Parts: sequence; C-alpha cells; structure tokens
Amino acid sequence: MSSVERSVIHPMPAQSTELLQGTLDLLILKTLALAPMHGWGIAQRIQQVSQELLQVGQGSLYPALHRLEAKRWIRSEWAPSENNRRARFYSLTRLGGKQLESELENWKRISGAIALVLEGR
Amino acid sequence: MPGRLGDFWRRLCARIFGASRDEVDEELSYHIARETELRVAAGMIQEEARRQALIAFGGVEKTREQCHEWRIAVRLEALGRDMRYALRGLRRAPAFAIPAVLTLAVGIGATTAVFSVVDRILFRSLPYHDAARLVSIGIVAPIEPQEFMLGYSYYEWQDYQTPFEAITSWTGSSNCDLTEENALRLTCASVEANFLPTLGAGPLLGRNFTAEEDRPKAAKVAMISYPLWRSRFGNDPAVIGKTVSLDGTPVRIIGVLNKDFELPTLDDADVLVPEAIDRESERGPSPGRVRWAFARLKPGVTIEQATAVMQPLFQQMLTTVPPQFRKEVHLRIRSLRDRQVHDVKLAAWILFAAVMLVLMIACANVGSLLLARSANRQREIAIRSALGASKARLVRQIATESLLVAFMGSLAGCIVAAVLLRIFQGFNPQGIPYLEKAQLDLRMVVFAVAASLVCGILFSLAPVLPKPDLETLAGRSSIGARHGLVRQLLVGAQIAVSLVLLAGASLLLRSFWNLQKQSLGMGTKGLVTAGISLGELHYSKPEQPMAFFQLLETRLRKLPGADAVVISDSLPPGGWHHDHILAALRVEGRPQLADGTGGTVAWRWVTPDYFRALRIPILHGRGFTEADRNSAAHFMIVSQSLARYLFQNEDPIGRHLQPGLEGPWYTIVGVAANVKNGGLMGGDEPEYYRLRRNRAEDWSRDASVTVETPMALGAMQHWIRSEVAAIDPTIPVVTQTMEERVSKLADRPRFEAALLGMFAMMGVLLAAMGIYGVIAFLVAQRTSEIGVRMAMGATKFDILELMGMQGLRMIAAGTLVGLAIALVGSRAMGTLLFGVRPDDPLSFASVCLLLAVVAGLATWVPASRAMKVEPSQALRHD
Repeated sequence: MSSVERSVIHPMPAQSTELLQGTLDLLILKTLALAPMHGWGIAQRIQQVSQELLQVGQGSLYPALHRLEAKRWIRSEWAPSENNRRARFYSLTRLGGKQLESELENWKRISGAIALVLEGR
Repeated sequence: MPGRLGDFWRRLCARIFGASRDEVDEELSYHIARETELRVAAGMIQEEARRQALIAFGGVEKTREQCHEWRIAVRLEALGRDMRYALRGLRRAPAFAIPAVLTLAVGIGATTAVFSVVDRILFRSLPYHDAARLVSIGIVAPIEPQEFMLGYSYYEWQDYQTPFEAITSWTGSSNCDLTEENALRLTCASVEANFLPTLGAGPLLGRNFTAEEDRPKAAKVAMISYPLWRSRFGNDPAVIGKTVSLDGTPVRIIGVLNKDFELPTLDDADVLVPEAIDRESERGPSPGRVRWAFARLKPGVTIEQATAVMQPLFQQMLTTVPPQFRKEVHLRIRSLRDRQVHDVKLAAWILFAAVMLVLMIACANVGSLLLARSANRQREIAIRSALGASKARLVRQIATESLLVAFMGSLAGCIVAAVLLRIFQGFNPQGIPYLEKAQLDLRMVVFAVAASLVCGILFSLAPVLPKPDLETLAGRSSIGARHGLVRQLLVGAQIAVSLVLLAGASLLLRSFWNLQKQSLGMGTKGLVTAGISLGELHYSKPEQPMAFFQLLETRLRKLPGADAVVISDSLPPGGWHHDHILAALRVEGRPQLADGTGGTVAWRWVTPDYFRALRIPILHGRGFTEADRNSAAHFMIVSQSLARYLFQNEDPIGRHLQPGLEGPWYTIVGVAANVKNGGLMGGDEPEYYRLRRNRAEDWSRDASVTVETPMALGAMQHWIRSEVAAIDPTIPVVTQTMEERVSKLADRPRFEAALLGMFAMMGVLLAAMGIYGVIAFLVAQRTSEIGVRMAMGATKFDILELMGMQGLRMIAAGTLVGLAIALVGSRAMGTLLFGVRPDDPLSFASVCLLLAVVAGLATWVPASRAMKVEPSQALRHD
C-alpha cells in the first residue's frame, strides 16, 4: 500500500500545502464518522470546524475521496442532497472505522512527539 | 445488441475501476454548482460567480484524471501482485502447469470446434420467422427418401386442411441461363406465390409474387438471391423492375431475397420464379407434378395433432394410389429442422456427445491436477495461514493462479479450435449442411472456458476451506489421503469415458474399413467422368441434345488414348439415377406383378461401351453393339439380381419387358453382374440398362460422359473440357476421375470416423496423463512409507505390487463401467455402421486391450520408480 501512495502521489505536487501529507485522509475519515456527506459538504465542514483555518483544496479532496473508496475505507452512493440535486454521498465503512481509530492513535502519538521536541529542551 | 453490450462493458469497468467518468463529472459539477450558489448568495451575478468558483476549484480536468488514476492504480497493484505470485508459483511447478494448460487447450479447442460445426445443424435458428412452427409435409414411398407430394392431392390438402395456417410448396429447381451479354448459368427454383409469406421470409427489396403472377401465361417475373444481386448487379437497388432475359424469355425482376435466405430443403437457388401451374389440370386424373410441401402450424397445434387431423385427407389420397402400392405409402409430417438434417442428425449428436465426453475428461484431469497441487501446498498454506494471512487472501491468491491457468488454457484452446475447424473444413464431406459456413462459436468458447473455470476453482479451493491444523503444519498430512481417493475416482471415471469414446471410434473405423474394401462390382481405375448439362435455350428440341452428344462422342473417340467413350445419364456407385418400383415392370406373357412389395429398381440410359469401360462383366447373352444403336427395336440388359428376381432359374435372354407399364417393350439381350448403385452404405437395388439409340427420344439434356484411358487422367480431363468448349463454349463441364467420385462418397464416414477417432485418442491421452499423475503422486507421498517397508524387508516386487495395485484397481473398475456404458450406448450408432454389429466383440476386445496397455504403462512408469527408492534416503525424506 505504501508503495502505491508514494508512486502515485508523486506526480501530483501537493496543492494543499496547508495540510500535512496523510492528514487529509484523517480529516475526511473523521468528518465522515459523524454522518455521510458529499464532497462539497466535507470541504465546507472541515473549513467551518477548523474556524476557516484549514482550507481543503478541491484538487486534492476528490482524488483523496476516490483513493479512500478504492481502499474500501469509505463507500459512496448517489442520493438527493439538501438542495434537491443528485449528489454523491460518502460514508465510512467498517474497515474505514478501524483505520480512523488507528490513524487517530498514530496522529496523537506523532503530534505528542512533535510537541515534546518543540517544547521540551 | 451494441447498446446492451456497451452497458455491460460500462458496468464491468465501473466494477473494476470504480466510478465511471460520467459519475466523476457529475460529482465535480455538483461541487462547482454549490460554490457558485454561495457566491451568488453573497451578491455576485451568476456568470461571475461561476467563473470565480471554477477559478477557486483549480484544474477540473486534472482532478478528474487523478480520481481515475487512483482507482486503477490501487486495483492494478493488487492484481499485479497476485499475478506475479501466481506466475512464480506456476513456473516453480511445471509438472502441474504444463499438463493443466495442455489439457485445457485440448478440451476447450475440441469442444469449441465441434460445437461450431454441429451448432448449425442441431441448434441454430432457421432464417424464417417463428421457424418452430414450420413443418415439412408429404408422403413417403420407397422411391424417394424425403417426403413429397403430388399435384392432385396437394391441392386437395391445401383446400381442406385445418391444422395449418398455410401450406406452400416448390416444384424443384432446374438450370436456367441468363442469356444476355456475359451469359451465366443459374439455378432457378419454381415456388408457389405464397412460398415466402408462409415461410416467413420477406424480401430484402421489392415484393413477393402475387397470386396473378403464379397463373399460367402470366407475365414472367422473378426474385433474385442476394449473392446474385451482389455479384451480377453490384447491389444496385434499381434492379427492381429491370427486365432480364432468362433462357431467352424476358423476365422482370420484382424482388431481392434476404442475405440469409435459403430454401427449406437447403438446395441452391439463384432465382425464384412462380410455378405458374394450371391448378385445374393438376387436379385431373394424372398424378400431377412432384413437389415438396411445407406448412405453418396454427399456434398451439403440435405435429402429432396435425398428423392425426390430416389422416382422413391422407386416407382419401390413398384411394387414388394403385392398391398394390398402398402398403408402402405413409403420411409424414416433421419439423423443418428434422427434414433438413435428415440423416446427419444422428452423426451430429454422436459427435456432440463425444466432444462433451472429451470435455468431461479434460475437466476431470484439471481437477485431478489441481487436487494434487493443493495437496502439495498444504504446508505452504498452513504456514501462510499461521503467519496471519486471512482466508480471503489465500482464496484470492489461489483463485488467481487457477484463473491464470484457465486463461492460458483458453487462449491455447482458441488456437486449437481454429486449427481443428480448418481441418474439418478441409475434409469437406458432402451432405453435412453448413460445414463450410461454420465459424468459431463465441458462445461455446465462453461455455468451455466457464466449465473449466468452475471445475478449476472448485478443486483448487477445496483444500483451503477447512482450517489448516497443526498436523498439516507439521507435514503429516491426512488431507492428502482423502484427496487421493477423490482423484482415484476421477481417474476411474476418465478411463470409463475413454473406453466409451474408443469403442465408438473403433466401430466407426471398422465400418469405414468395410466400406472401403467392399467390392463395387465395377472398375474405377483409368476412368474420367464429366457431367454435362445443356441449356434450355439452344437445346429445347429433342434432336438438339442428341446431335450435341453424338458429335461429342465422335470427337472424343478421336482423342489419342481414349479407349472407350460412354454417354450415360447417370453413373454408379452412388448419386442420382432413375428408379421406379419393381411392380411397375411388366413381363411379357405374365400377369402384372401383384402387390408392390419388391422395393425399387434402378435404371440408366447407356451407350454400348458402358460395360467395357466400367469393367462390368456380362454374365449371359451379349452386351449392346454399335449396330443395335441404329435398330428400331429396343434393347435392354438386366442385372443378375433383377434377372433372378423376375425369372428365377429361367433364361432371361430374349424375354420382353415393359418398364413403367406403358410405352415400348424392350428385349433383354444380356445379363450383367451386379453393381453397387445405392451409394457406398446403401443396399444394392436390382438394375437394368436401356440402350441409347440414335433416336431423339432416347436422349435428354443432361448426361455423364465417361472416358477410359491408360493415359494421365489430368490431361484427359483437360481434353474433354476443350472438346466440349469447341462445340459450345457456354456449356459448363464438371470433370473428375472415377476414383475421386467414389472416394467422395466415403467422405462422410471418413469424416465421422476420423473425428471420433481423434477424440478417442485425446481422451485416452488425457486419461493416461491422469493415471500417471495419480500414481506418481502416491509414490511421492508414500516415499517414506516405502522406505520403512523396504527397511523391514519388503522386496522390490512387493513395492511394485503395492503401488501398481492402486493403478490396476482404477483401471479395472473404469474399464468395467466403461464397457457396460459403451455396450448400451453403441446401439444408438446403428445406422452409422456398415458391416459391423454395434456389439462387435473384436472391436470391444481390442479397445479394452489398447486401453489396458496404455493405462498399464502409465501406472508402470511411476510405480517402477518406487522400486528404486533407497531405504536409507527415503527414511530421511521430509
């Protein structure tokens, strides 16, 4: 899996420099853990919850969604949206739920470690 | 079809690669629409809002591509990994991979090729609307194997029948010439006006015949076939309404037939013309024209019901038949397909059954190979499972390997099928309809591949499903023994099936051998024949054909090396000849023969050289002489069997016969030896010969010219053609040597025997592979046991016995079961056999022997390897 990410992430330079690599996946999974949502809604939600600090670039949001779906962490279905247009709703799979747990764990460990390095002396 | 296929393809892609392009587009456009709404709500005008939204989004196209790349990359990566693993595994196990792929190739190839041939005979839908309701209807009598009708009763039936929507008929085809610039010899078929509507075959262009056009003296019209339309008129729609000259008469073309149109009897026809028969005169006292009738059943009426309902009409017709023949006339109504495949049906079913048996053997072999492979992998699987591989992962990986083998086997199978089909068509036997049109059947490829896949997956997954236990991990496998039993059963079944195939093949081979070595009663060496058919236009008067053939005879006699020149109207041993029922032969001085029980008698018009050229001995009396040809009297030579039938021990020479119960009396001048005349497999009919004198009434437009020569036959064929062309260059000539003619008659039995023989060989080969595999596997598995036994004092012979007995048991059981099935099954082959009984002991004994030897060898080789086991090494094994 890791080899795929490396090989396919390379050709697309990170347009969303504001996000650390890998964190976008985590944010998407976390957002979907609350409720199924379409792509636009996910972007909006991340912006709102982060109080406009995190801007999700659409250019990386959609490839990420499709990548997560290919890994079977999320699944998608077409349904009418709140403005009555057909939209593609994503939701978390069981596998995705597990993945979220382990990534959260990981994130906490790493951010804790970084915090230690930056603060402690 | 393209729509459904396209749909299917899209769904397949979505399944493999996730969302389709359209879906991604819709998803992205939804996003942009929402962004636009946000900006409009903030006070922007629509266009500007949309522009801003697009700018904010960045490259839409690029995003779209990336969405796709992800899906494909993830899938391909997983697939690639499984593939690499499977390939590596297969390369490490060539003893499994090579036989498996070969087996599949043979199984799939043979099945597909044969099915492609028989499909058109047995299963293909006919090119008519609702063809299941079409039947062939008529009476059967000894003179014609296929049902027919005569004019007078036909019109009665047409008027008074109830079970059919419509009855139609055609009265046969004849040569006709397109007498225009670039004259062309064509075949014209005469049909009733309701012919095409009843069959449910519409014209491609133009219209059908009207009832008015089907009356005598109506303006002549015609419909032309698609091939003629293409080759002669260049697919020009303006051909409708065009007037052409057929046999010198102007005829207007009113329609073009469909591309796939064929006559229900499968005869060739370039042009359809109305019969234009005067119905009233047909209803008169004379029997009327012979015709072939077809009818469309009313919905819901079965053939049995229709036959019952037609009985009164048939009985009424019988009253017009002379009483002595009534016993031999029957009503027959059968489906159009039965009429078409007539005597090929049985052969086609047998081939089909044979090829299914080969497929069964192949599947059993692949299953057996996979079982052996999985038994060998028990430990590997157990270890991988213990290391944490999920069951799904193991299944997927093993399935990939099976699929890979199936894929390679199918690919090779398609090549084998294409080659085989080419070989079948190379045989090109006559009388197997559609063979030259057969193409590889995609449905059958799919079926054969699917069958092999199912058995592959079934057998390969069996060992994974129970959870591997510690025993297996330690290498002390118990599962292997269980699989061994399944494999032995499989091998036993293979042997049984092979025996059935071999028995069928050997019966066909023996009957083919009998056909070849039977005495024809005539010579075939040094003879060239030429079929000549004169056109209606220039040879309509009786003197004209006589003048032509007499001139030809004179010219041929002058050729160097032409020892004898014969002009007859037909030739033995097979093919068309005149015949009539025996009771229609009146003997002078005797009452007419009572009760028509005697069957039919064949007869031909011949010239004096006939008996010399064909080396048919004259047993009593004399042959015809040149002087006889100028006589006003009529001369006849009868065959020995006819002489015996008519005159028993009396001397037939000088007696008088009247053929057909009317016309001139013939004087018998000689008795000729019997000659085969009903084809190679048919029985011999008694026969008589009429002398063709120098009188117009003895001649017709069609003739067979036979030339005896000691020279190269090829040169003589060429000369005959140029002599005919020198008299009239427009006349088509078909030349062949007599040996070619005879050999062509044996084409079909040869084809059947060769095909079944080939399948039987494949079956035996596959079964031998199966036995070998099982015994070799047993030996490998029990190596340590053998070591122990030898260390304990077992002799090499004991070991051979131990291992060999396993094989012998399978062979004996398989042979017995196969023998029983073959004895019952071979009875179905009855009519395909010639001079050999379906339970021919010699065939069955030799087949059993052959199979026993092959199977014994396949057991011996691996079993003898067990004898060479070194106890000291074997004990260290594993």
